[in-house]
Amino acid sequence: MARSLPLTVNGKSCPLDDVPDSERLLDTIRWRLGLKGTKEGCRSGECGACTVLVDGVSTLSCLTLTHEVEGSALTTIEGVGEEPTGRAVQEAFARAGALQCGYCTPGFVMALAGLLRERGRAAPTEELLDDLGGNLCRCTGYLAIARAVSTLSKEGT
Amino acid sequence: MTASTRPDARSKLEGSAVFGMDLEAPRMLWAALVPSPVAHGRLKTVDLSPARALEGVVAISAVDLARLLPGSTGDPDRPIFPSGTVEYRNQPVAAVAAPTRELARQAARSVRVEVEPLPVAVDLEDVFPEWPGSDADGSPHIAAHVRAREGDIEAVFRSAEKVVRETYRTSSIHQVALEPHACLAEVVDGEWKVRTCTQTPFGTREDIASLLGVPEESVVVEGTWVGGGFGGKGAALLEPYALLLAKATGRPVKLALGYREEFLLGRTTLPSVIRMETAVTAGRIVGRRVRLLLDVGNALPGRDFATGYSIGFLLGPYRTPAFEVEGYAVRTNKPAFGPHRAPFAPQCAFVVESHLDHVAHEVGLDPEVFRRDHLWAPGDTTPFGQAVGPFGLPTAFDRARAVAAHWKQDGGAGTGTGVAVGFWSTGTGAGGEARLLLSPSGITVVQGEREIGSGSVLVGVAAVAARATGLPRDRVTVAYEDTAHAPFDSGVFGSRTTAVLGRAVEEATRTLFEEIRTRLGASGSVQLEVVGDEIVAVAGTARRPVRELLSDAERSVGGIVALGRHYGKAGTIDERKVEVGAFYPYTDFTGAAHAVQVSVDRATGNVRVLRYAAFHDVGTAVDTASAAAQVEGGVVMGLGTALTEEALWSEDGRLLNAGLLDYRIPTLGSVPPIEVTFIEGFAGAGPSGAKGLGEPPIIPVAAAVALAVRDACGAHLTELPLSSERVARALKLL
Repeated sequence: MARSLPLTVNGKSCPLDDVPDSERLLDTIRWRLGLKGTKEGCRSGECGACTVLVDGVSTLSCLTLTHEVEGSALTTIEGVGEEPTGRAVQEAFARAGALQCGYCTPGFVMALAGLLRERGRAAPTEELLDDLGGNLCRCTGYLAIARAVSTLSKEGT
Repeated sequence: MTASTRPDARSKLEGSAVFGMDLEAPRMLWAALVPSPVAHGRLKTVDLSPARALEGVVAISAVDLARLLPGSTGDPDRPIFPSGTVEYRNQPVAAVAAPTRELARQAARSVRVEVEPLPVAVDLEDVFPEWPGSDADGSPHIAAHVRAREGDIEAVFRSAEKVVRETYRTSSIHQVALEPHACLAEVVDGEWKVRTCTQTPFGTREDIASLLGVPEESVVVEGTWVGGGFGGKGAALLEPYALLLAKATGRPVKLALGYREEFLLGRTTLPSVIRMETAVTAGRIVGRRVRLLLDVGNALPGRDFATGYSIGFLLGPYRTPAFEVEGYAVRTNKPAFGPHRAPFAPQCAFVVESHLDHVAHEVGLDPEVFRRDHLWAPGDTTPFGQAVGPFGLPTAFDRARAVAAHWKQDGGAGTGTGVAVGFWSTGTGAGGEARLLLSPSGITVVQGEREIGSGSVLVGVAAVAARATGLPRDRVTVAYEDTAHAPFDSGVFGSRTTAVLGRAVEEATRTLFEEIRTRLGASGSVQLEVVGDEIVAVAGTARRPVRELLSDAERSVGGIVALGRHYGKAGTIDERKVEVGAFYPYTDFTGAAHAVQVSVDRATGNVRVLRYAAFHDVGTAVDTASAAAQVEGGVVMGLGTALTEEALWSEDGRLLNAGLLDYRIPTLGSVPPIEVTFIEGFAGAGPSGAKGLGEPPIIPVAAAVALAVRDACGAHLTELPLSSERVARALKLL
């Protein structure tokens, strides 16, 4: 059954109307909100390309029903640069050349921004890399991504 | 973001880059494809009425083509929808469009498809349990047959001291670009317009025109950002369906694959069986016989490209005085073979390196010395009679070997090292053209390719333009236009883009400088300098801002325009050696030598890659950071080919592991440190002697890992991938 739900998206109140119970957060973000920086890869929780922050916690939007996040604050790749942590991640990726085709990039940025919010910059590089293991990249071989992560970790700061 | 970052970094990091999957238009409909439920059979019924009964749904199948394409027969060999037999499972037999994606999928599922099953050919060795006989050329299962020879091979094998014979098998692998195929089509005033994530805008245009049977000029392809290509996004795949639905509905139509469909419909590398025979006398190879059965799926007879191109790689970069190579492209009920980063070359390198290593073991020689002694050197000719020319592979091999020897000294129990090589060539395609626009403040390269991630367009072409014009990189912009406006280029494939478009840019620069010289009324070489915000042209004693050199007409378009083209030619082979079919010469010769250290778990057979070093003959590194990134990414992709990636097909033609959990690509935790070294000074076909680098990094990887596994535990594996299970079986653990 469709009903309305309150939501904050990238710092702005964005109440949604007539959201079917079965709608995935990924589709809400991309097609209802028009924020296509959140990428659709596998739609089954295997690639990490659709990662967003829900109340600051990194979340696979393809496996999340929109009604599950009712009343939450959602951050997407379009808004994460407004926060110092997100901005730092974007700049670290740019400096390290940690992107090629760019399709997995928003998911990596969001997942790492979520980790850094959760753990702060005291986290060791290895722990951060372990926790990014669910994000797939086919272009870079991950090494440039690991270099970007290391500049944001306990060792790099 | 700093000036040294890639020009596409900001849009990709902030989420504004628009990929094929992201396309949207007002009044857009969503499409879905109706798959064949069996891999081979006679199509009896495609009943669209259940789909058409759904509100807002339009459905089309073979019977609608005459109405939608009046007067056209399309490509009779490649019907858009089959009307007689279906040739592979999930082959689209109909397509639907609906206002929502969910409804489109529901409508596609509702179509009633009846197929009378026919025998399914899936496994090569079921199709040809024995090597194809002399009557095979008439078989419907043969798409191509090639054979070449040099010398009296039977006599050489009879008189050799030692002959080593082996059979190898390689797996079906998938590109696994993270972005599925997607496009958005519109038909307006007779123009077939499609926006799509393609590596080959012009090639896709040609393919669409051929499939629809319409003039090429009536088709416009506009590339989007491409979320990974690796060969999987050349030619047309979804575009004809979306265009036909757009024609049928009069509305924009979006067609995007789900990731499972991406696996099911993708055209990629298919399995092979390779027989290797090598004759050795007094420590030298005196003759080799190579036989290839390559699964090409639903590839059309006469249109298989893979066999004649691949088979040269099965001799490897080695001196071979007498040889016979023969290959058959075998048709099976799978989607057609398609390019996958250095198509089939990693598999060939795995077979060649493993086999020659084994031959050396069998005759009691040091395997690395044995291969090094036979390696082509600059000045050699290939077994097919092509001049090798400048070739850095021997240097690369020596460097890689030294690194591996060093690692071996501190390698612990259960570790081993491997050194392997592969060769490749800088492709040209048909060729490429670029348009330069020199404005008062900078230079723009206008061209027809979208960046697919490698950096070949936005970084490589920009670097060449900066070097050619003498302007700093921040004054160079690479711009994209669709096929109706851009100068022609063959596509982003074949490690060709920076090389061919770069050479086109160099030629355009010469034309531009000649024009500037004339306008300055000076002689001598032209230089462009940045003074404040302006570009100043200098030749001899003449010196004027570009702004002052423009005519009124040029001011309206923004600057001086110059066109450059490069249509490179491949070398020649000795055609007398070719007995059947076509073999292809190369443009230049490039290569890489890789060293790897692995550990093998003696309880499970699990292989862990500990460290890696890659030495690449690049001619000249156009942009060192991007070049190193290509090598890192290619090596890791190759580790997937080596260790885990294998698409599994059931006897009735189902792809069993169509998903990222069951088809395992490398993940962040499995990646070793990789040292990258460029060997320069052996000039190739590109600008300033640069050689292509998109594909070479993946070529030696599986070979190097296989040799390291043998070194670590003695297991000599003849099948890819080197999964834990296969290693465990070789170690008699299973």
